[in-house]
Amino acid sequence: MKLSVFIKKRRDTWDKLESLLLQVDKKGLKTLSPDQVQELTRLYPTLAVDIAQARACQADQRTQQRLNQMAVRIHGILYRKKSRQPFKAMGRFYLKGYPKHFREMWPYVALSLVLFLLPCLGTFVMVQLDPRTAYLFVPGGETMDLVDGRAGVSAEDISERFRNTPNSIMAAGITTNNISVALNAFALGITAGIGTCFVMILNAMMLGGIAGHFANHDLIYAFCSFIVPHGALEIFAIILAGAAGLRLGLSLAIPGELTRKSSLQKGAKDAVLLVLGTIPMFILAGLIEGFITPSYMSGQFKILIGIGALGITLAYLFLVGFSSKADVSL
Amino acid sequence: MIEEDYLKIETPENIDLQIRLAGVGTRFVAGLYDNIILLLMYLIIFVIFLIINSAGFNQFNDVATGILIVSFFVIYWGYYTLMEWLRNGQTIGKKKACVKVVKENGAPITFADVAIRNLLRVVDSLPGFYFVAGIFMLFSKKTQRLGDMASGCIVISEEMPQYAAKEKEGRQEAWYADVDAEALEAIGLTQKEFDTLYNFWRRRSELDLEAQYQILPKLLEPILTKMGREVPLQHVGCEQILDELITKLMHTGSSRTDESGSNR
Repeated sequence: MKLSVFIKKRRDTWDKLESLLLQVDKKGLKTLSPDQVQELTRLYPTLAVDIAQARACQADQRTQQRLNQMAVRIHGILYRKKSRQPFKAMGRFYLKGYPKHFREMWPYVALSLVLFLLPCLGTFVMVQLDPRTAYLFVPGGETMDLVDGRAGVSAEDISERFRNTPNSIMAAGITTNNISVALNAFALGITAGIGTCFVMILNAMMLGGIAGHFANHDLIYAFCSFIVPHGALEIFAIILAGAAGLRLGLSLAIPGELTRKSSLQKGAKDAVLLVLGTIPMFILAGLIEGFITPSYMSGQFKILIGIGALGITLAYLFLVGFSSKADVSL
Repeated sequence: MIEEDYLKIETPENIDLQIRLAGVGTRFVAGLYDNIILLLMYLIIFVIFLIINSAGFNQFNDVATGILIVSFFVIYWGYYTLMEWLRNGQTIGKKKACVKVVKENGAPITFADVAIRNLLRVVDSLPGFYFVAGIFMLFSKKTQRLGDMASGCIVISEEMPQYAAKEKEGRQEAWYADVDAEALEAIGLTQKEFDTLYNFWRRRSELDLEAQYQILPKLLEPILTKMGREVPLQHVGCEQILDELITKLMHTGSSRTDESGSNR
């Protein structure tokens, strides 16, 4: 077909489509009437044919581009995600999919656990052997100094420090900070996992160092009653975030049978789902840290709450989501 | 011709679409818009916070501070993710810059994709001003930053240049010239010859000057011999004749098609 004849025949359709697109741009997608939507779906396939034809009869670049851009736009409008309600899908993931996914990711969780526990224990032992090394891991360690004669510090005294800050600010500040650490641990996985290891080891050494410091002064019970209520869940969630970073990093470093790129993409997807699941845990831990840790409840009771929170989380992770319907995608 | 990156994707209709990838510059502009919006959001929340604080509801101050911290956090980590997730791959800035995030095969993005590409922003923006992202975009075939690579997304340009012309002049740009059949016959040209001339006229801006110098005289020669005219020696002369023929042969009433390339 001659180009001019072809264009003459089709240009009314194209003008029609362009005016529909213009309407979408100016007034939004929702202003399209059902008839107009039907028109769009009806005309789009013919446009696709036109593009091939324009190429065949060597239309000028500009016309070809114009048709092509138009098709790209309409393609973007017509092909959307299945409109299953986005928030419902999210709810389904947290209620059923996440535990399943967690269990699939167990090797990485185990690796992350080791990566956290070893430096933690190592630092603890090191501080036991040489108490002065504690200051390496405690930011502003001197101000938290328990060495000079205050061996009688109780759990109460440590909690007292935190009572000066109002609960809601504590909860908000600590939760957001911890979620940031977790998200960073995931994102830094892109450095083949090195960044994640760094974050994990740093946090583990800090915990081990401070624990060792308190133990040196026979304050391990006071320490536990302060750390465990929120820390049990919090540290567990950090380990999961570390596992996510390792999954991402190892998928990039060791692609196996896949190409490096598709391995990375698969790893990133697994990893992001793993880290997204930690957010509710951090929120729960943050609430405990803001409202229960500094409260005047007894130490044993607080520790019980902490272990309880972790226990419920573990029960959720190991007992939920066995049906084949559990949807891991998001 | 402007250097642009295209990516070929195949639609379910079995047609190859040339998707235009958004360049570093366009994406920078989109980012600029988004950052201005982010800044405004922070500012507005902070002002509201100050008002609450100064209004003297002392019992709410702590809660307000807590809410301030949380909302800053949600905006910082969530703005891009929520926008792209709920608005089909377009933040407000991206919409403004006519770019959009899609999967590498042109499919729409899922929440996981959006979360990956936006959580990795932390790394992409190291050590500042998206330096890492810039480096990766320059060296990647599909102008992808790290977050795009990991999530398998691309940022495409949806710009339709013709819109601008239309909006200003309030009419749709014509797709092709209507040729005046009588004038064509009077000169003794065939439709095909006119098409050839017209095509050259429309796409000359795509050719570099050297090519234009070489092609145009060859193109005009048979036509001008038919008309009993000489081919001018100077390129400018050839262009004049081309313009003259095109204007003469097009319907006098019909809108003259765009001066192609004038807006590039």
